[in-house]
Amino acid sequence: MNTEQTKRGIKVIGIILLIYAVLVATHEGEFWPFSIYPMFSQAGNPWTRAMVIDVTDVPDEIMWQLQNPDQKTGPPVSMREIGVDQIDYSNFISKTEDWTGSRRDAVRLMFGPDNIGNSRWMAAKVHGKMIGSDSVAVTIQPFLLVTADSVYMNPLLDESHYFRGGH
Amino acid sequence: MKWTDNIGRGLFEPERETSSGELWFFKFFELFVAVYTILFVWEWGWYTQLRNVEVVLPLGLANYIDVSLFFDHNLALFNAALITILVILCFFRLGPKWLYMVVLILFHLQYVIRFSQGEIPHSQNLIGMSVFCFAIGAWFFPGAKQIPRFVMGSIIFFIGLGYTSAFFAKLIGTGFNWYDGRHLWLWISEKSIDILSREGFYHPNLLQQMALNSTAVASVILLIGWFTEFIGFTLWWKKIRPYTTTLLIGMHFGITLTMNIRFDAFVIQLILVGYPWYKLVDHYLTTMPDSVRRWV
Repeated sequence: MNTEQTKRGIKVIGIILLIYAVLVATHEGEFWPFSIYPMFSQAGNPWTRAMVIDVTDVPDEIMWQLQNPDQKTGPPVSMREIGVDQIDYSNFISKTEDWTGSRRDAVRLMFGPDNIGNSRWMAAKVHGKMIGSDSVAVTIQPFLLVTADSVYMNPLLDESHYFRGGH
Repeated sequence: MKWTDNIGRGLFEPERETSSGELWFFKFFELFVAVYTILFVWEWGWYTQLRNVEVVLPLGLANYIDVSLFFDHNLALFNAALITILVILCFFRLGPKWLYMVVLILFHLQYVIRFSQGEIPHSQNLIGMSVFCFAIGAWFFPGAKQIPRFVMGSIIFFIGLGYTSAFFAKLIGTGFNWYDGRHLWLWISEKSIDILSREGFYHPNLLQQMALNSTAVASVILLIGWFTEFIGFTLWWKKIRPYTTTLLIGMHFGITLTMNIRFDAFVIQLILVGYPWYKLVDHYLTTMPDSVRRWV
């Protein structure tokens, strides 16, 4: 590129930058592949992730109770082994606000009835937050019991945990 | 000299003659982008077909069209097949000069179809930005010697901008105390759940143990990473570029070790665009036998 073409190149980049700015400003920072790269920008906030625990052999009166990672009621189910993207699953559980029948069934279909078989899998929310100034507390909240043909909500949680949208 | 001229000279190097090595390396880079584009669109297409049921979080064009239409009837796979064909045509410069733009739009569509489930990953953004720069380059700088300079220069510009933007996003989102080591504790514990759920087991590595045992160590890790992001824009100048690239690659290895997040395509691309590989190709071209060189 000669000097003139270089100037034209910078002008083109400037125009792209303008389009980039408009698109990310009007789409909450993301219009792929444009992004403001906000990952990890809000530090120190409590977080929520999700995991699946195999509760096939766990008594009903125990499986719904709050747990911590060192004392789970059953072994974790590996998302990789059942072909589910962990980040997808985690976001699906933590970002869904209204757990309608179709949304609950979507979890069952995501796991795959064939993968579940005769087992009972507990889809759990996992919460983490700073306690005081020197430790992180992590708790596991059983959320949806998933079998090959049904999905059950936690009877110990009130409806506001499942229908924050007011349905 | 205006500051825009200064950046332009750093990115597009108007004084330097185009060499054979540069053209060969550029074609290799285009192949790398084409291969990753094809890999991504098929990976996303298959996942969509098998797993996506409902739209949880609409991104990009999914705010305007119902992408759940693509969850069934193999439509995401048809889109992948179409992108594959178009990418091959673009690679061989067959078809109109706006063909890469069509690839970009379909690639964007495939991304928002696949990532409608709540996750907003960024590890594929560099490949997406590269396709975008190829689309602009093929349209506005179609000459055989112009397109490599524009594409590589603009990719480097947006990589540098992205890292520095990430620095400011943290500064605005949290403030100067972003590097407080206890923030890293929260992220390590968060990622540990992802690993436990993904693999079925989790054991912290040595660096994670060191960070969890000392706020000071955790703070230093964050501070180094944050500073490295800030200087991302120095990629725009060719003399500093290899050093900044090395720091950025180091930062990504640090993120992988502390938070178990891998950026394979990202790091490979950094290695490809951050160092003057054309010099190495030129060196081999000048030292190879005449008969082979003439063929090349």
